[in-house]
Amino acid sequence: MRRIERLINLIAALLETSRPLTADQIRDEIAGYGEQPNFEAFRRAFERDKEALRAMGIPLEVVETDALGGEPEGYIIPKSKYYLPELDLEPDELAALRLAAEAIAGGSEQAEAGVMKLSVDDGGAPWGGARVTWSADVAAEQPLLGPLYSALIDRAPVAFSYRAATGEEKKRELEPYGLVHRKGNWYLVGRDRDRDAIRAFKVSRISGRIEKLEGGYEIPPGFDAKEHLSGEAWEIGPGEKETAVIRFDEPLRWWVEQNMTQLQRREAHDGGLEVDVPFTNTDALISWTLGFGEEIEIVAPAEARAALRDHLAQRQGTVS
Amino acid sequence: MSQDAAGRLGRRLQRILLLLPYAIRHPGVTVDELSLKFGVDKLELMDDLNLVFMCGLPGYGPGDLIDVSIEEDKVYVRMADYFSAPLRLSPAEALALYAGGAATADLPEMKEADSLRRALVKLGRALGIAGNGDGTSGINVRLEDRPDAHLRTMQRALREAKQVQLEYWSASRGALTKRAVDPWGLVAALGRWYLIGFDHSSDEERMFRLDRIKEASVTDMAAPVPDDFDPDRYKGAFSDRDATPNLSFEISPDVSRWFEDYYPVARSTILDDEWRKVELVSSGERWAATLVLRLGEGVRDVQPKSVVKEAARLASAIAARHAN
Repeated sequence: MRRIERLINLIAALLETSRPLTADQIRDEIAGYGEQPNFEAFRRAFERDKEALRAMGIPLEVVETDALGGEPEGYIIPKSKYYLPELDLEPDELAALRLAAEAIAGGSEQAEAGVMKLSVDDGGAPWGGARVTWSADVAAEQPLLGPLYSALIDRAPVAFSYRAATGEEKKRELEPYGLVHRKGNWYLVGRDRDRDAIRAFKVSRISGRIEKLEGGYEIPPGFDAKEHLSGEAWEIGPGEKETAVIRFDEPLRWWVEQNMTQLQRREAHDGGLEVDVPFTNTDALISWTLGFGEEIEIVAPAEARAALRDHLAQRQGTVS
Repeated sequence: MSQDAAGRLGRRLQRILLLLPYAIRHPGVTVDELSLKFGVDKLELMDDLNLVFMCGLPGYGPGDLIDVSIEEDKVYVRMADYFSAPLRLSPAEALALYAGGAATADLPEMKEADSLRRALVKLGRALGIAGNGDGTSGINVRLEDRPDAHLRTMQRALREAKQVQLEYWSASRGALTKRAVDPWGLVAALGRWYLIGFDHSSDEERMFRLDRIKEASVTDMAAPVPDDFDPDRYKGAFSDRDATPNLSFEISPDVSRWFEDYYPVARSTILDDEWRKVELVSSGERWAATLVLRLGEGVRDVQPKSVVKEAARLASAIAARHAN
């Protein structure tokens, strides 16, 4: 018997049984398991099968049985956890979800597999194939997102190893409150247990696996994860918040008008604009302005001007 | 078992676990319809059905096995009520679908936005994510840094299949340029929107960052999208995986810690003194020069040398503006 048949038999039996089945019962009763020459070989095959089912998201559970003298553990797939809940999606809602799944990049395979499950009652035209002229990368293919999401839904505290921007790697314990996607990156926001404070972690800097911890937690009502992400790069970092005055020359004026709408600005000479830009991190501010080349000037504060001069002088020093 | 084989087995099992409920809920569905729906050829599909026919519940007698019959190309699956509903969404599927939907619902000019929002509320409720009604959600996705002034115009041009006139800031030249572009598609990646299309000024397929467009107008010129255009093809374009690197330099250990998170590095090698040699695809000499300036002391041995020269020129111009 092929392994895939054995797996289907295992799912069917564990889904349909009213009482958890012990390993012995599984070996004796489920087709495909009697073929192993001894208990050890059966055990290995069964372990691999359990792992395969769990990897697919099948809720195979281990429970204590009260069988006297027999094995203490039994296995079952609870129907309430296996089946997709009824969503009662209207046809237009399903079509819109399908369109979204079609249009995203980075995770589209998972999204399309999900939308197929939701389409089980839709006997109409073939799924997919909708013509979309745009595509959005939500970077949902990151392997750690699944486990983090499931911890968030189950309200399970997690432990993981995190590499900070400084390169330092540390173990963190967190109560996940939310997952936020910004600029192609995912962030996990939650209560850091050691610091007893809300922190945001970049998912791509989490290394290794996510360990689910015992216990639960509550998310404070009205909590909004996106408020806990830092803003622009030059606003991040240590130091007091200051305001820089940045002059954009006329050729960059349109860019400011289009992209810096929330900031205070004034007319400057020769058709340019002066903009008040809040910052905490001088290095990041300098780096950002340098990206514009020579048509921009840090007017104030004087310290930031000086820091820019030093930065350029050091650069020239390394070239010679 | 190899990773690949495990992946194949998993995908096939997933398909069967959805094929069964589908066939049970649509008795008499044809083999052709099934093969179209599930995107597999008829032979593979028949293989799946024949396999299921051998499976069932302990006892495995005639009353225990799944009954699959194909009558005049029509498929009937019986005796498998336990497989009459699909498996719930896996965490990865739920997250990708919800995130994709949330991102899409916020786009301007999305006529499906209302339907999508309603679908997300239902999905969020069923999955236990969100929908407190107070606008907060465990999952939050925003595609772009800030609302883009030209997104609406571009979507209109795409819908009407009309050419656009752009005044575009070219980073490689450091100047505004005029372009006539046939719009093919829009792609959001890394917090920005890009227009993909055929640029008549360079006679080439090009990508344009929407935030670098100064002016955009839709013309009357018809500009049909080529039949084989597929926005998915551009998925990797932002990491320049296929292009040949034409810029290289060495970066300090400090810079190495974050550099690859922000810039598309094609190749990277660690050196004896912990510095790292990186090679990437340049967006033009001026862009490369500003990058070198930004990295300051954290970069050395920049190739080609013309970039060093441009960086030096820019540095003295900027230094002069900040002389006191």
